[in-house]
Amino acid sequence: MNFGSEGLSRPLKRRSFIASMLATGTLALTSCGTDDARAGIRFNQSKPEVIPYFRELLGRFNSSQGTVKATHEVTAGLSAAFARNDPPDLGCLNYNFEMARFQERGALSDLSDLPQQKMNAPFIKQLLDLYPDYPGRTSVLPYSMMGAAVLYNKDIFEKHSLSIPTRYSELLDLCGELSDLGITPIYSTFKDAWTASQGLADYSIGGAIDINQHFADLREIGSDFTPDSSVTFSKAFTDPLLKMQELAKFSNNDAANRGYGDGNLAFANGQAAMYLQGPWALPEIAKTNPDANIGTFPLPMTEDPRDLKIRVNLDLALWIPEQSDHKAEARELLAFLCQPEIQNAYNESALGFGVRSDSPPTKDPRLKQMQPYIDTGRIYQGVSTAIPRTIPFENYMQGLVTGGSVEQTLATLDADWARLAQRS
Amino acid sequence: MTLTSPAKPRSDSKRPMPTPPAKRRRFEATYLGFLVPALICFTIAITVPAAMGIFFSFTDSVGFGDYNLIGLANYAALFTDPAIIGAYSFTIGFALVTVLLTNALAFLLAVGLTAQIRARVALRTIFVMPMVISGIVIAYVFNFLFSNTLPTVGEYFGIEFLKSSLLSNPDLAWLSIVIVSAWQAIPSAMLIYIAGLMAIPYDLYEASSLDGASALGQLVHVTLPLMIGYIGINIIIGFKNFLGAYDVIVGLTNGGPGVKTRSIAMTIFTGFERGDYAYQMANATVFFIISLIIALLQLRLTNRGQAK
Repeated sequence: MNFGSEGLSRPLKRRSFIASMLATGTLALTSCGTDDARAGIRFNQSKPEVIPYFRELLGRFNSSQGTVKATHEVTAGLSAAFARNDPPDLGCLNYNFEMARFQERGALSDLSDLPQQKMNAPFIKQLLDLYPDYPGRTSVLPYSMMGAAVLYNKDIFEKHSLSIPTRYSELLDLCGELSDLGITPIYSTFKDAWTASQGLADYSIGGAIDINQHFADLREIGSDFTPDSSVTFSKAFTDPLLKMQELAKFSNNDAANRGYGDGNLAFANGQAAMYLQGPWALPEIAKTNPDANIGTFPLPMTEDPRDLKIRVNLDLALWIPEQSDHKAEARELLAFLCQPEIQNAYNESALGFGVRSDSPPTKDPRLKQMQPYIDTGRIYQGVSTAIPRTIPFENYMQGLVTGGSVEQTLATLDADWARLAQRS
Repeated sequence: MTLTSPAKPRSDSKRPMPTPPAKRRRFEATYLGFLVPALICFTIAITVPAAMGIFFSFTDSVGFGDYNLIGLANYAALFTDPAIIGAYSFTIGFALVTVLLTNALAFLLAVGLTAQIRARVALRTIFVMPMVISGIVIAYVFNFLFSNTLPTVGEYFGIEFLKSSLLSNPDLAWLSIVIVSAWQAIPSAMLIYIAGLMAIPYDLYEASSLDGASALGQLVHVTLPLMIGYIGINIIIGFKNFLGAYDVIVGLTNGGPGVKTRSIAMTIFTGFERGDYAYQMANATVFFIISLIIALLQLRLTNRGQAK
C-alpha cells in the first residue's frame, strides 16, 4: 500500500464527503420544493449481486419521466412488510414458495391484463403452475430465469476424450473412469446444506420424475394427506434419492467439510471434472480463474436421453401488492423495466435466460449448451423450491448425502407434509 | 424477572420512615421517573408483541392477511411433531452438558486465578476475552478451525479422528457446539466465581490450614460449601442461556448434518421467516413458559440467598 497517496487522499476524501453531504442536503431541499407533484413509489429488489444494476436503472427511470419517483428498497424478508400492511409498491424478487404464499392468500394484485403477459415464452406457464395462485388471478410477471445443470471442466473432458453422458449408466461409467484416472469426478460442498439440496438433490429428483405432476397430485389430496396416500414423497423420491447417494460417493473425500466458497475455488482450479452448481457460481469461479473452460449438461437420471431436462427457476418476477396505493405508477415502472432492450440487457449481464417469446438466446459460452433445452421446454423447477421452507428439506438432503437413510428421511418428510397439510 | 423487581420495595414500607411525607412523595416521583421510560419501552418492545404472539398461536395466521381462530390445534400438533420434540431434546441435552462443562471449568479457572500466582491479573484478562467477542464471530472462527485446520493437522500427522471435521459427523456434531458455547460462556461464569471466592474470609483458610487441612481438603470442605449459592445461580443462568442457543449453532452447523443440531430457537425462527407463523408462535409460547419456570426458580434461589 502506498502511504503517500493515502495521506493525500484522506483530506480530499473528507472534503469531498462534506461536499457530497452539502449537495445531498441541497438536493433534498430542492426536491421538497419541486417534486411534490411526483408520486413516490417503493421498488423492492434484494438480490445482492444486482442491486447496483437496478439502482442505476431506477435512476434512469426517475429521470426519464416527471410523474413517478421510485425509491430502491433492498430489505430481504417481506413477511414483516406484509404483516405491517406496508409492502413495497413493486416487487422484483426470486419466485419461490415463499413468494407463492403471498399470492395464494391474495396479497398480490392481478396482473393478467398486462400486455407484457402476452409476451411470455411458452414454457412460462409450466413454471407458474408449480405454485397455487389466488383464484382468477395471475399475480406475477416473470422477469428473468436462471438455468442450472452440471458444470463441467471442458479441458478435463477433452484431455481424456470423455463424452457428455446422456444416460444414468453412462454417468456412472464416466464417474468410474474419472476416478480411475485419479480425477475427482464431482466436487461437492456438503457442509453448506443448500448446495446439496439445490445441486445433487434437485438434479437427481428433477431429472427422474415430473415435479409439477407430483405437487399437483399432492395439492389434490390436500389436507387428507397421510403417509399412506396414493402419492407420497416416499413413493416418488426413493429411487432418485438412492441414485443420488450413489452419485454422492463420487465426490471429493472431504466433501463434508467443504463449503460453497471452497467448491468455487477448487472447481476454478480444475480440481474436479464436475460441479453441481448454478450459474451464480460462474462469476465466483471467474474471480479465481477467468479462463476456466466451463460447459454445462443436464444430469442424466434415466436410460432415455429424451428425459434430459435442466433445472430452472424464475430468478426474478415482478408483482404489485394488493395493498399498494400506487398500482398505476408501479405499472409504469414495470413497463419501463420490461422494455426488451432493458430486460435483455439485464439477462445478459446477470447470466440469466430470457422469459419472453422474443428473447434472444444467451450469448455466454458457458451457458450456451442449456439453450436448446430451454427452447424446447425441457425444464423443471427444483423440488427444493416447491417444499415450504418450514420443512428443513435442505438439512434432510445434507443428511442423505452424508450417509443418512433414504427410507427414514422420506418417512419424516411425509409425516412433516401431513402435519403441514393438516394445519394449513 | 424484570417485571417482578419493582414489587420489592413493599418490605421497606414497614420500616419507620425518617423522611417527611412531602419529601418522600417527591422521591417517589423521582424513582418513578427513572422507571417509567424503561417500563414504556419494555411494554412496547416486549410485552405487547409477546401478547400478540401468544394470541396468534391460537390462530392459523401465516403472519399477514386473514386468519381464523383454531383453538389449541397448534399446541396439539406441536406435541406430536418429531421435529419439535427433536429440537427440544437436542437443546435440553446440549444445555445440560454445556452448563456442567462450563461451570466445572469456570470454577477451576476461578480457583486458579484467585490463588497467589504470578501474572494473575493478566491471566484473568486473557481468560475473559471470549466474553467480549460476538457469538457468530466465534462460531465462524471455530467453523474454520474444525473444517480446515484440524483436518489438515490430522492429515499431516496421520491422526485418523481429526481427518474429518467434527461438524460433519452426525453423531458428534453436537460436541462442537458444546465446546464453542462453553468456550464463550466460561468467562462470565468464572467472573462470578472469582467474585464469590474473593468474598470468602481468609481466616477460614488460615484456621483450616492450622487444623492440618490440605489444599484439596480446603477446596472441598471450605470453598465448595461457601460457594454453593454461586454455583446454583451460575447453573440456572447458564442453563437458561443455553436453552436459547442460536447464533453459535447457525455459525457452526446451521442445524446439520441433517437436522441433528437444530435448536428450539432455530425452529421458532423458521416459523417467523418461512410462513409457519402461528404454529411456531405456539412453540415460542411453550418455550416462554419453560423459560419462565426457570426464571422463577432462579428468583427463588436468589431471594433465599439474600435472606441468609
